[in-house]
This record gives sequence, structure tokens and C-alpha cells, in this order.
Amino acid sequence: MGIIGKRVAYYPGCSLEGASRAYDVSTRIVAKELGLELDYLEDYNCCGAMESKNVTFMGTMLLNARNMSLALKRGHKVIVAPCNGCSFSLQRAEYFLETDRKVFEKVNELLKEGDVDPLDEIPHTYHLLEWLYNEAGPQKVKERTVKPLKGLKVANYYGCLYTRPHFYARTYAHAGGNGEERPRKRETADDDEHPFYMNELLEAAGAESVYFEPMHTQCCGGPHSLSDEDVSKKFVMMILQTAKRNGANIIATECPLCHASLEMYRYRLMLEGVEDVDVPAAYFTQLLGLAFGYSVDDVKLKDNLSDPIPVLRGLGIA
Amino acid sequence: MPIHERSLIESERVLRKERLVIDGIDVSGDWNLIILPRTVEDYDLDFAKEIMESPDGKTIQQCYQCSYCTASCPVHNYWDDRYNPRHFIYLARLGMVDELQKRVDVMWRCVSCHKCTHRCPKGVLVEDVLKVILRAMYKRGLIGDYPSKKFDQFFTESVLEYGRIEDGELLFGWMEKQGYKIKKDPILRKPIPFFSDIPKWLKDMVSKPIKEGNIGFLMLNAKHMLFHPRTKEWNKFKQVLRKVMEEEGALAKGG
Repeated sequence: MGIIGKRVAYYPGCSLEGASRAYDVSTRIVAKELGLELDYLEDYNCCGAMESKNVTFMGTMLLNARNMSLALKRGHKVIVAPCNGCSFSLQRAEYFLETDRKVFEKVNELLKEGDVDPLDEIPHTYHLLEWLYNEAGPQKVKERTVKPLKGLKVANYYGCLYTRPHFYARTYAHAGGNGEERPRKRETADDDEHPFYMNELLEAAGAESVYFEPMHTQCCGGPHSLSDEDVSKKFVMMILQTAKRNGANIIATECPLCHASLEMYRYRLMLEGVEDVDVPAAYFTQLLGLAFGYSVDDVKLKDNLSDPIPVLRGLGIA
Repeated sequence: MPIHERSLIESERVLRKERLVIDGIDVSGDWNLIILPRTVEDYDLDFAKEIMESPDGKTIQQCYQCSYCTASCPVHNYWDDRYNPRHFIYLARLGMVDELQKRVDVMWRCVSCHKCTHRCPKGVLVEDVLKVILRAMYKRGLIGDYPSKKFDQFFTESVLEYGRIEDGELLFGWMEKQGYKIKKDPILRKPIPFFSDIPKWLKDMVSKPIKEGNIGFLMLNAKHMLFHPRTKEWNKFKQVLRKVMEEEGALAKGG
């Protein structure tokens, strides 16, 4: 393999350095075990997530262009982001900078004004999962596994922005519309409607994936999880109940926002006495870390508010 | 309501009579439904133009109203079928801002899942277009401070100030905006979750790491709440960012 590169710029994003540190720590562990190198992007700024793009277009472009400029300065042409929101934002900026000359020129002009090196090229952003799958793959995970996740039935939850929209995530060649001459599909990209990279990685580590379509890419409420509680609650309920009723005993996540939303509403739904919502959530890197022989404390499983430890202990994994 | 254009006919325009005789001929029956014509004069073509001129809204021109976006939309399917992206695009292009205004209670509900954009056969960036429509409506005062707008503004201004966000600030700051009484320490004015009047679920969530003695987690988050994480080389860039946002009219009114 080796299409993306073994040494990449690592853009953790604000969340991973705060409440979701478990994802950060376990990501580093997994990358190290698989012989890959993450070069921390020093002094990065927030990507603007799903919020600032609704407020300001050019401001959001600038936020992301600054991060791209930092990566180029460190000699990287590839950025890896473990968060769906971050990788989406960077990829969105990538799309507009590549397809709209005017935006590109304006952004460079403003970067110079703000004492940031202008972009002479545009680095590409990959989601952590896509990178791990293509650079290491299930085979390598299998070789590394010392403590298989035997008996663990996983519902692999990908969330929205890992494969969508194809303009940004580049999951398939563009079918119609104007202003796009060349197909932007990426060879390394996951399937757009039926992603399977996480399934395969966790299966390689000994887990069993349950049938989870179409909820594997259903929205968790995302950017509205605080501002529109009713909708978010209903969406999370649908996701959790589908997982539970399809026999899952854990949900594997790959985005700190989805993870937080699932855990928060899981607890609230349980307080309200809703049935079949008690499936705990863990980052897929935490599960891989356990399979590679790391302890519960190493992968910070205690940080998970939904407390997956009893389930894992019951199966003799943790 | 599968055909949303039906909603453009207000109910008082629909006439249906039990018995109706016109020129001596009895036309009673179910088919004698009469729709009074409606002439739209106050359409606002500048509205559509504004959307087409923004880089993230220009694909609105490519829409051919197939409704694949609406068929994919989880808000439409699982929450409220009055939320209809295709219809909003239709109204925006016609410049029927008064009809858009009648739908402000659902228009902001988009959860940004991007199924619409992903599946659009014509390459319309539907999600972006809808957000541009909302932005244009907000600018004209057609829509007030809807909940997610407040959150977006709150979030963006935190990014502008520090370069990074902090989960605790967002969560408790938002709860405070919702009317919960958040207790703050007298010196740094930072929230103290345990003495605040917050819902049970949040209290339980905050006390979980304490109960389990997860000291590393507590220390990290306490540190971040006390000393907001920030980007170091930010000041110069922040000024540029502020300028850009001012030009776009993106800063909070009066702030």
C-alpha cells in the first residue's frame, strides 16, 4: 500500500485535547503499534467545525487555510484528522480553494495580511480511519493483535461526514453539475453509502460486526445536539435502539462529536426510561488498543461517560 | 404533505360550496372547487441574486427540483415533513421571501448531515445553499435569533477570541444562555458545575469522573476551564479574521 504516506501531519482538533482525550491517546497508541507516525501540528487553530461556516464563509476558509499553511511549513502534504467535523472542514476548504480561483486568491491575500505563509499548494486531508485502513490495513491489525476482541459484538457507527458529501470526502466521482472538470474521487476513499473500513479493522482484531444499516451513517443531531434537543434525542434513540436490537453490546465511534452526543443522550434517554438504549460507546481506537494488549487505563476507557468497562470485563477483554 | 406547492394556496382562496347554481345550471358536487387566483407582486429577486453570488450558494442555479434532497433528509423523514429543502430552494429562487418567512420555525432545523448534498444528481451543495438562504434571511431581519444561530454565533466568537474552543465553556455557557443559573467563582468568573442549578443528567455526567477518581481527566478539564486553551500566534490573524467577518456582517449585532 503506501498511497497516503506513513508520516503525516496530525490535526487533533480542540475536542481531542479536552474532553475527548481518550481518542487522542488511543489514536497515538494505535498509530505507533501499526508503525505509522503522527506529526503533531503545533499551534493549530479551531477548524470552525459545523458552526462557523453558518456564520461566515471567508472566515471559515481562513481558519482552515491557516492550518493548511502550518502543515506545509512543516513539510507535509497530507493532514490526518481523527474528527469528522475537523476532516470535513479541512476538506471543504480544500474543495473551495481548488475549484474557485477567486476564493483561493483572496484567501492567500488575507493570509499574508495576517502574517501567515500563503498556500503555494493545497494539502489533502484524510480522516484517521481512511489513513489507518490504507496505510496499515486489516492484515497488519491482525498481526498486531495479541488479545482478540472475542465475543464483542460491535455496531460500527460512522456518522455523517466521514463519507459525505462526496464533494468534500471524495467518495465517488461527481455525477453531474457544472464547474467540475475532473472527477475528484480518491482511490483510498471508503464506500460512500456502505462504509466498511471500521468493520474490517475491528473484525481483524477479533470482534464481530452486527448489521447496522442504515443507522451506521445516520445523523446523531451533530451540530444541533445542544441547540435542538428534541431532534437530537430522537435521532440518538433511533441509533441506539437499532444497535441494541441488532444484538450489539458496544458501539464503536470515530468522531468525538458523535461520541459525545451518543453518550449524553444515551444517559438522558435512560433517565427517561426509554427501552433498549443502554449500549455503551467506545472509540474504535480504544478497542484496537485493547486488542493490541494495552490496559483499560492506557486507552482511558474511564473517560467514556457511557462506561463500556463492565461489558468489556464481562467478555474478558479488558 | 408530498406536494408542498399546495401550501402556496392559502385556505381562504379555496372555495367549495354545498350547492352552487351558475346561470341556472346546477353545478353542485365535489368537483365545483374554485381556487381564487393569487398574484405575487412582492417577490424579491435580489434575494436569489445574493445567494447566487456567494461562493457557497452559487450552485443553487443548478437545481432541477427532483427532490432527492428531501427524500434523503432525516429531518423531513423523522421529524417534521414541513421541512423540505427542495421547496426552500424553489421559494428562494422565486424570491418569495414572505413564504420563506412563514416557514422560519422549521427552516433552521437542518442538522448538517449532508445527505442532500451527497445525493444531489445536479451537484447542488444543498446544505451550504440552505445555510446561505438562512444567512440572507437573517441579514434582512426575516428570521430572528433561532436557537442554532445563537449557538453558531457563540461558538464562532469563541474561536475568534482564542483560536480554539473549550468544551466546558461551550457547554456551561450554553446552559447559561438557556436560563440555567450557573454559579461562578468570584475572581476568574469561571463556572463551578457542582454548585450550579443544572439538570440532573448534566450533574451526573460531571460527577462521574469524580466518583471514579479519574484524576487525569479532571485535572485536564479543570485546567482548560481555568485557562482557556488558545492559539499562540493569533493576534495578527485575529484582526484579519475580525475584519473579514465585519465585512460579511457576521459579527453579532452590537458586539
